[in-house]
Amino acid sequence: MKRSWIGFLASLALVGMAWAQRPDTIVIAQGVDVTVLDPNNQLETPTANVLANIFDTLYMRMPDGTARPWLATAVRAVNPTTWEMTIRQGVKFHNGEDLTAETVKWNFDRVIDPQRPLRISNSWANLASVQVVNPTTLRFITKNPFPVFVTRLTGFYILPQKYVTEGGNRYLQEPVGTGPYKFVRWVRDQQFELEANPNYWAGAPKIRRVIFRPIPEASSRVAELVSGGVDIITNLVPEPVNAVRASGAAEVRSVPSIRNIFIMLNTSGKADSPLANPKVRLALNYAVDKRTIVKNVLGGLGQPTGCSLNSYIFGYDARSCQAYEYNPARAKQLLAEAGYPNGFTMTLGSPNGRYLNDRQVAEAVVGQLAQVGVRAELRVQEWSTYVGQILERRIPTDAVLLGWGNNEFDADNSLYSLFYGGTVRGGPRQVAFSYIRSVPLDNALLQAQRTTDPEQRKKLYLDALRVLRAESPWIFLHQQEDIYGVAKRVDWKPRPDERLFVAEMAFK
Amino acid sequence: MALLSPPLPTLQMLTYLVRRLLLVLVVVWGTATLAFFLLFLSGDPVNLLLPLDATPEVREQFRKANGFDRPVWQQYLSYMGRALQGDLGISLRNQTPALGLVLERMPASMVLAGAALLFAVIFGVLAGVIAAVRKGTTLEFVVLFFALLGQSLPVFWLALMLILVFGLELRLLPISGYGVGPIPGLPALANLVLPAIAVGTFSMAAITRLTRGGVLRELRSDHVRTARAKGLSERVIIYKHALRNAAIPVVTVIGLQLGNLLSGAVITETIFAWPGVGRLVLTAVTQQDFPVVQAAVIVFAVLLAVINLVVDLLYGVLDPRVRYA
Repeated sequence: MKRSWIGFLASLALVGMAWAQRPDTIVIAQGVDVTVLDPNNQLETPTANVLANIFDTLYMRMPDGTARPWLATAVRAVNPTTWEMTIRQGVKFHNGEDLTAETVKWNFDRVIDPQRPLRISNSWANLASVQVVNPTTLRFITKNPFPVFVTRLTGFYILPQKYVTEGGNRYLQEPVGTGPYKFVRWVRDQQFELEANPNYWAGAPKIRRVIFRPIPEASSRVAELVSGGVDIITNLVPEPVNAVRASGAAEVRSVPSIRNIFIMLNTSGKADSPLANPKVRLALNYAVDKRTIVKNVLGGLGQPTGCSLNSYIFGYDARSCQAYEYNPARAKQLLAEAGYPNGFTMTLGSPNGRYLNDRQVAEAVVGQLAQVGVRAELRVQEWSTYVGQILERRIPTDAVLLGWGNNEFDADNSLYSLFYGGTVRGGPRQVAFSYIRSVPLDNALLQAQRTTDPEQRKKLYLDALRVLRAESPWIFLHQQEDIYGVAKRVDWKPRPDERLFVAEMAFK
Repeated sequence: MALLSPPLPTLQMLTYLVRRLLLVLVVVWGTATLAFFLLFLSGDPVNLLLPLDATPEVREQFRKANGFDRPVWQQYLSYMGRALQGDLGISLRNQTPALGLVLERMPASMVLAGAALLFAVIFGVLAGVIAAVRKGTTLEFVVLFFALLGQSLPVFWLALMLILVFGLELRLLPISGYGVGPIPGLPALANLVLPAIAVGTFSMAAITRLTRGGVLRELRSDHVRTARAKGLSERVIIYKHALRNAAIPVVTVIGLQLGNLLSGAVITETIFAWPGVGRLVLTAVTQQDFPVVQAAVIVFAVLLAVINLVVDLLYGVLDPRVRYA
């Protein structure tokens, strides 16, 4: 009797071992699964991370943040509203279909069709039409000058026209791209398998097979990594970092991310309300000890910031973006000058679990504000309600903790999107993440969006950053770090844009 | 000899059945309606579907394309109309039929619930009987102690501890996932063990306490005393006379637990990356993927109503005194 039990347990163990490392297969665990297999109808990092291995973009984001020609070989501005693009020749999709200028035009027409909006259509609202000049050349006509044209190409995937238009819904079940990996199978919420494309135009990738597994619980991901069940885990939180390091099986690798965390202040109150006073807002920035928050709440993985950009982004300026020093004495003095020697009371909203330790960051801020006499009451909310209130401008608190990831690497996405429109008739056209009202700011941001000259744009963004520095519409907190757990056998450096390009990985 | 013929379904019983089935429909409709309006109140799903900096025009286009721009009563009527034809809408995130997504996960949830129930019933009944028979001994104390523990342990803690001990330290069992079993669509046995224990422990503890109580009561009853007087063996007395009579409340609880096990495995499914309905619903709720949440609510309403009905009918089999009117 006893012996059969031991046999039973041993056989279970053997089945369990089937999951352990295989020499030609890399297993990557993300928190959630892929949602759709149409790369141009999704906006989720975990989905994009998988599909970007199957599909190519026209331009490719390099680890240093620059954009490099990829399926396109060159792009040039003919005039401020016309771009000309040449397409790489001899590229074939996994099913043998050829990549042509016609294919590319069809892909853009599909995304800008107002009858059937896709989730990325918003990025291409400025595109009026696309014309095929010859089999390898296209012309893009835009409604307004479109300086972020090239940067947006890094997020635009090319699908095979015939396969999509003639194969019914098959492209949503068996995706076919031009990328370094081919689709093998997908079992929802279990695993997504890829195999190397030996005929990839940029050279066959080194790792033969890839399995993406969704493991929602962070501690289960860590357990899988440490026990050798998976090779890479995303969204590692600071708490188990030491356990991963101590395991000997895996390492912690991190990279400063494209996401900045901040607190948006409601500056639109009456003139005598504290947050309407720039001095008070400056005081709050001096009152928060960003360095200590990063050290204690984020395990040291982060950088204090002083603007909404970070160093990867076009338009960044080191001086205007320097973090405010922690100086409670100065903060108290500014508060006294503003007429609040005994501080004041305010409310602060925070999500829970949307950003790295967000609630804990908000709690730390509340504690530090109390040191200078500002009594902030924290209200934590579930994300979907929270973000709904912000988008609809029905924010119930005086301040909200938020994050912004600029995946375009251009200041337009961090400045125009977040601050433009306070003085425009009808208020902000899109949901700006601030209540700032400044004519010079609005002018600079609009002009920067309407010119294609990089030098001119840099100057305009510098003007904008100076206005923001003087007005302090936010409490600037920190730039997050993306933390990964990586098995020691994997040769790979994390990228700032969160992508997991397996073609960049190898086994040691 | 009419008196000895097996109990045929009587007219009374048929009326009862029809009434109960109609009630199931009412329950499902009520649940679906409630869920629809609660979801509607929870906010605009377009907010999460588009980038935060999407222009108002693009948002409006999206609302139109998905029909969210119509008044709520119109959305409700068209939803119910389509639901009657078996169309529960398309998942906003996954762009596939919501009902399909839910049904696709059903086997994984059922296998887990079944395994958990099996674990709970076998060990629960066994432990309950032992505790009753060995009343007053250390063994009873130990069983009751673990039963209390089983009912008070938070499931997420238990799940993490199981992973830590059996997955990470002893490396006996896989930590997460469904695995590839010998039968297509079913999990690997090894992958099933830890989640089933995590899900089943609470029910097992409940069944242990209930079985112990029932058997103790029966052991003191007149018919058991008569059986003892007749000289029947203790084994026959316990398993044939006491346990059978103690089974009715246990079956009720098993029925109720089955509902819990099926719908309440959200945390366990998340921790073990189990591809079940609970995890699907949790993701759908956080993403405001209304059609999926709604489809899952309806499927569960049907399932729970049917389970309750079956449990009620089972009473008749177990206890001939129960009649339906």
